[in-house]
Amino acid sequence: MSLTARSKTQSDLSGSLFSRLKTMLAALDPFQIAGVILFVAIWQSLTLRLPAIILPTPLGVVERLFADFLSAPALSYYGVSEANLYGNLIYTAENVAVAVIAGSVIGILTGLLSARFGLMRAIVDPIMMTAGTVPILVAAPFLLIWFGVGRASAVCLVVFYVAVILYVFAQRAATNLDPVYEESARTLGATPRQMVRDILVPATVPEILGGLRIALAGAWGLEAIAELLGSQSGVGKVLEALAGATDPQGIMATLLALGLTAIIVDALAALAVSRAASWSASAR
Amino acid sequence: MIATTRARRGRWISVAVFLALAVIWQILSMVYTVEAQPGEPMIAGWQILFTKTFLTLSDYWQGGLGVPTVADGAERSYLAALLSVLSHSADTIGRMALGLLLGGAVGLLLGLAVSWSRWTRRLFDWPLQFLRTLPLLAMVPLFQLWFGTYFLGEVLFVAYGIAVIVFAGAVNAVRNVPQIYIDNARSLGASRWTLYRTVILPAIFPAMRSTILLSLGAGWSAVLGAEYLGAQSGLGFIIVYAQQFAYLDRMFFIALLFILYTSISYWAIGRLSARLLAWAPPSQRR
Repeated sequence: MSLTARSKTQSDLSGSLFSRLKTMLAALDPFQIAGVILFVAIWQSLTLRLPAIILPTPLGVVERLFADFLSAPALSYYGVSEANLYGNLIYTAENVAVAVIAGSVIGILTGLLSARFGLMRAIVDPIMMTAGTVPILVAAPFLLIWFGVGRASAVCLVVFYVAVILYVFAQRAATNLDPVYEESARTLGATPRQMVRDILVPATVPEILGGLRIALAGAWGLEAIAELLGSQSGVGKVLEALAGATDPQGIMATLLALGLTAIIVDALAALAVSRAASWSASAR
Repeated sequence: MIATTRARRGRWISVAVFLALAVIWQILSMVYTVEAQPGEPMIAGWQILFTKTFLTLSDYWQGGLGVPTVADGAERSYLAALLSVLSHSADTIGRMALGLLLGGAVGLLLGLAVSWSRWTRRLFDWPLQFLRTLPLLAMVPLFQLWFGTYFLGEVLFVAYGIAVIVFAGAVNAVRNVPQIYIDNARSLGASRWTLYRTVILPAIFPAMRSTILLSLGAGWSAVLGAEYLGAQSGLGFIIVYAQQFAYLDRMFFIALLFILYTSISYWAIGRLSARLLAWAPPSQRR
């Protein structure tokens, strides 16, 4: 019964994706667009008073973004291995993806286990809570010495960060789960494996995926600063090169590219979350 | 009763975990004696950290108070080391505290101003969302270009990071104030100004608590990030400077100090906000 209901809602969802897009367009608020225009206008009017070396014009930044996206030969003079934004964005995105996947596996597993085994929780909790309150950035120089300049140290930093956030979210989701579900499954003779597969995982997935989006949002900045501290490529390296060249237009174009990438990835993640947890009320 | 004994047991276990970590560190330092460079062990035991490492921190003392600096040819001394640790800590904490106050005040005021009416809220929605998604830590170079690598640049960077979070949190909190509170006050004849002062401000405070804790974390990472990239003083400055010579023991000592400060700040803000929230129903106190 529940299975048919579930597959029905799923087919509804994919079928109505296009019409949903249409309703989203129709629901677009003119005030929001006016807000963006106002924002750009304020920026433009500020550039009239400030020199371009302090604040470049919005149009200049967008033009620079398009120009640098596929080819920015100037970057190669500063030791960036790939002289364009596109390649460096890919490099950064790869690192973020690997780190988010690895970190979330570690965080979710330890979080779920700690919610069910008191001793493990007692041991892991203090470590994770300390790691969570202390900005993980303090570990960055150590990782640079241990793993050298390259992918490994940046990825490791982001893995730590993501693992701590998902540990908290997974643990909270499993702790807040009403025991009545697990009790009734046990009464009906569910094996421990079934309990995990059919109760624990589905019940905690929506909240954990919400945590994943939060972790993802913070991961971009952390990855970028890890690259700023020591790397051969990536958005952080580009920013370092442009800062050395006192080029605010380039910096803002790069930040814009990174911000837009983060927004797009977050939108994709939100879509994936709503599909994966479409049966849950809290994910909507 | 059971809850308190369980909490006490939990506290003892966490103390034991930290002690165990310290012991493991010591054992590691004795087993794994590889040196990053001659005389600088990769893992420095506690007996080294609190004597030799601490003494070497006097290298970072920048002079004054009649205590000569190592750069001027003076011997390393415990007094200079202590002064160096205190002055660099004061720099970091000062930047953080000023940034927190400035960013918190500006963020809250802007958030309340934007929430003044439904129109302004919709007007500022998208630019606000955009500023929030810009990765904060990647913006260090921009702020250094604008305001320099000295005190002002770092304080403004921390303030910006905190202001964006507090701003978004305040707008969100005002939106979530139950309409019935507002209607009730209105029907009793409250002006918009009275409404803000007596209803909305107290009502958003419970929701702002998690925002404040969140912005505290962002503030500490902002100050550390800014100090890594070009500051001339502060704990982050010492860490990066020591990293260039692979002085892992000094880095570890400063990192421990940093962990201590951040933990104290979380504890203090948590206690303070819990006390200020004593009036709120428990379901709102999260």
